[in-house]
Amino acid sequence: MTMKISEKEQKYMNNKIIQFWRFIVLNLKILKAVDHSKRS
Amino acid sequence: MAKVVVIGAGFAGQTAALYLGSALGKQHDITVINKYDVFGYTPSWVWVGVGQMNPEKTTFKLKPVYDKFHINFLQGTATAIYTDDQYVLVERSDGGGEEKAAYDYLLIATGAKLNFAGTPGLGPRDGYTSSICSLPHAIDTRDRLFETIARMEKGERQKIVVGTGHPDATCQGAAFEYITNIHKLLEKRGLRDKADLLWLSNERALGDFGVRGLHIKKKGQVMTSDNFIRSVFDLYDIDWQVQKGVREVEPGKIYWEDYEGAEGETDFDFTMLIPQFLGPGFTYYDKDGNDITSKMANKGGFVLVDAIYGLDWDTLAETPEAWPAVYQNRTYKNIFAAGIAFAPPGSISRPHVNPNGLSITAAPPRTGMISGIIGRITALNIIDLIKRGRMTHAERMSEMAAACIASMGDSLWDGSAATIVIYPVVPDPRTYPNEQGRDMFVTDMEMGLAGAWMKRMIHSTFMHKLQGRIGWKFVPE
Repeated sequence: MTMKISEKEQKYMNNKIIQFWRFIVLNLKILKAVDHSKRS
Repeated sequence: MAKVVVIGAGFAGQTAALYLGSALGKQHDITVINKYDVFGYTPSWVWVGVGQMNPEKTTFKLKPVYDKFHINFLQGTATAIYTDDQYVLVERSDGGGEEKAAYDYLLIATGAKLNFAGTPGLGPRDGYTSSICSLPHAIDTRDRLFETIARMEKGERQKIVVGTGHPDATCQGAAFEYITNIHKLLEKRGLRDKADLLWLSNERALGDFGVRGLHIKKKGQVMTSDNFIRSVFDLYDIDWQVQKGVREVEPGKIYWEDYEGAEGETDFDFTMLIPQFLGPGFTYYDKDGNDITSKMANKGGFVLVDAIYGLDWDTLAETPEAWPAVYQNRTYKNIFAAGIAFAPPGSISRPHVNPNGLSITAAPPRTGMISGIIGRITALNIIDLIKRGRMTHAERMSEMAAACIASMGDSLWDGSAATIVIYPVVPDPRTYPNEQGRDMFVTDMEMGLAGAWMKRMIHSTFMHKLQGRIGWKFVPE
């Protein structure tokens, strides 16, 4: 099954304001993943 | 005063050296052995290979960093380890002959030995393919790619093949980054219609990446990494073939076998194929001078540690504790291995042997964040052993999170990257009894410009961290 990336999604992927928000979210996600790791 | 020797200054070795130096450097004797006098930031060699980054931006000199941390630096190649007499035999890079480096604790963190010889015709020196697995290779690959681009500018159509060059290769992520970066580069130069791009890989399915692929939840629906990569390749007009084990390369032709045992060939004008990775390949000797290499390392040269070896794959997939916790050799408790150098108990992805007996299996990745984490764990345990006499740190790959930012165009304005967060790296079906054995809340992937910013930020923060600059410990591995 191939899921086409629509034009709307492509715009979303390159919208600077939305992507700035995603940048913050992705940083938090990675920090959360690190925290989920044992970090022993 | 304890003597600690670290062999290798990649992600695992450099991370370990900084922890060891900061905790023990003033009171104990820490030595790093490395063939080169610079650290190389491997993830950015993808950009070097497409001419988007100067090679100098991916390296820094090791000696000034080690001076700051009271670490001795021995530039050379370790060739043999005398496990009872506790020393490493080193061939000095300056032509000064052999030298013995004595240790009480040894950390082997050499990274991968690139086995181009494992596939006839593979590699930039003795073969017909390019590589981005070392900095000189990435520079050479960039030049070859530009020659290909020059032919396109003259109107010639070119076929570019990127993927894995051995049936048991790993590091598909780097190859994926490379092919998508080539797409972006050609698009920018207005030459995309002059190139056919093909992904050729040993993975069971697209997006397997040697970690059995990913499942994520998006807006209530489950999406797989297979679907995700298909949609990217569809968007970028990249053809793909998986379940192919490359057997041989001749000028302009790649010969492979597939899962069903069928043989075939693929033409190319330019190709970058990842070779098989092997372990360090040292010879180990006991106190009587007997060669005990077969007891210390597996057939691939990877160092045996505290994993449960010999399980069949189905049992291994149900046994997360089979993955090593402290990366310590069971016979010689003062020898540790980190990063690619340790022997995993098996593959994460389901192995496959075709009717001709050829194993076509994506090997488990142990690079980047995974290497850094293991480097930290082993260093902290060595510090523990010296200061307290017992280890207090452990982290299996079945308990470890990893983030991978796969660049798909480096521009901070219109670049892109796939950001993949995976937890745990090795599925743990007991803790996460879902289809993929992973935490569906943490495991995620998405594509967009934010990823390109992340990739650039991570380049800068890691170059900062691994030089031991202010706050280096606060940057997670």
